[in-house]
Amino acid sequence: MTKRLIVTPYRCTDCKNCEVACSFVHTSDPRKPSLTRIRAYTLKNAVKTVVTCLQCDEAACVTVCPVEALVRNPITGAIERNERCITCKMCTYACPFGNIHFDNSNSEIVKCDVCEGDPACAKVCPTRALVWADKPQPDLAPDEEIDIAPMPWAMKMPSR
Amino acid sequence: MIKAVEKPVSHSEKDKTVRITIDGRSIDAPKGMNLLEVARSNGIDIPSLCYHPGLEAFGACRLCVVEITKPGWENWRKLVTSCLYPVEEDLIVYTRSPEVMENRRVVLDLQLARVPNSDVIRQLAAEYGIHDTTYTKRKDADNCILCGICVRVCEAVGANAISTLSRGPDKYVEVPDPEACIGCLACAESCPTDAIGWHEENGIRHIWHRDFELVECETCGKPILTQQQIDHFVEKSGLEERYFAKCDSCRKKETAVSISRVMF
Repeated sequence: MTKRLIVTPYRCTDCKNCEVACSFVHTSDPRKPSLTRIRAYTLKNAVKTVVTCLQCDEAACVTVCPVEALVRNPITGAIERNERCITCKMCTYACPFGNIHFDNSNSEIVKCDVCEGDPACAKVCPTRALVWADKPQPDLAPDEEIDIAPMPWAMKMPSR
Repeated sequence: MIKAVEKPVSHSEKDKTVRITIDGRSIDAPKGMNLLEVARSNGIDIPSLCYHPGLEAFGACRLCVVEITKPGWENWRKLVTSCLYPVEEDLIVYTRSPEVMENRRVVLDLQLARVPNSDVIRQLAAEYGIHDTTYTKRKDADNCILCGICVRVCEAVGANAISTLSRGPDKYVEVPDPEACIGCLACAESCPTDAIGWHEENGIRHIWHRDFELVECETCGKPILTQQQIDHFVEKSGLEERYFAKCDSCRKKETAVSISRVMF
């Protein structure tokens, strides 16, 4: 486990590309953004940020699971739900961050699995607020300029 | 096809894996793993109704039968339920032999007589060429196939509310003491034939002849879970009761708020 999903809130524009990418990759149905594992928010203080599973070292969801259905993938470091799940939904209530959900339409537990080490949300983020990288980027301070090039298609957007 | 580089196997590791043959394919499997799991993880389909990877194998549905033999058995073969059979060295398995198929057909024929209205069973039976049962259909049939998944799920959750009552043809699944049920719906979600009915209306959840009042989310007012579930989870996890006061969406939003507080 070397890479992590790194969120840089001040770069987030709440464009919800990550939500669409997530639900598309996991359900093949872009019309169901409610099934996304990642959520983008614009908060009352105008701060924009994304929230997804933190893949906790000592995860509450793993602790409460009665059938060991939540197991950490040693390669990606993500906690993944396997087919042992009996949908008791204990994990959804136990997660203090609200990052594990129950999908009513398919009767299954959904959580971020970092797309087996290639997260779709990070790939589509136009401002690189979400990065799949080794460690936090050094340019996290808000006053510094973003030195990571934006996504190629984002560059085509008209500048103000 | 690119072959994976074979890792040098230490002695202790060698003792833990066995080599078996399934339908002519040579397969390495961890010792003691059940045959059904080994076959499925190698892409060989064996049908089953009562098997659940998270629960103890039960051997109730008899649909996962396979034929096994061994080199020293002089062509003698026997039928076993693959979900209950741990793999052994040199085991030779046939998952689609005529005897196996005939056995599965009989099982499905009987199941079809038991639950003539279940789409899952009808579809599975049709795959084996059975479109109508040759036995007498059960009158006023529900969809229960007595697979016992609900019983084992309830046991895993820790409520132990569901059990099978009576014996033989009168056997049925019931909650003997409705007070023990916590209304978590795990049984209904896991049922392979959707035989456990439940509904939710105006913040009341009805399951197993009982009405549960749902606790609403403190922030958004959405009904989330039953008080019995909270009590059960509090007891099991040692968390405080206020932990369960909010729904997952509201908690996620709170996480966003705390991220913004840390960052700005």
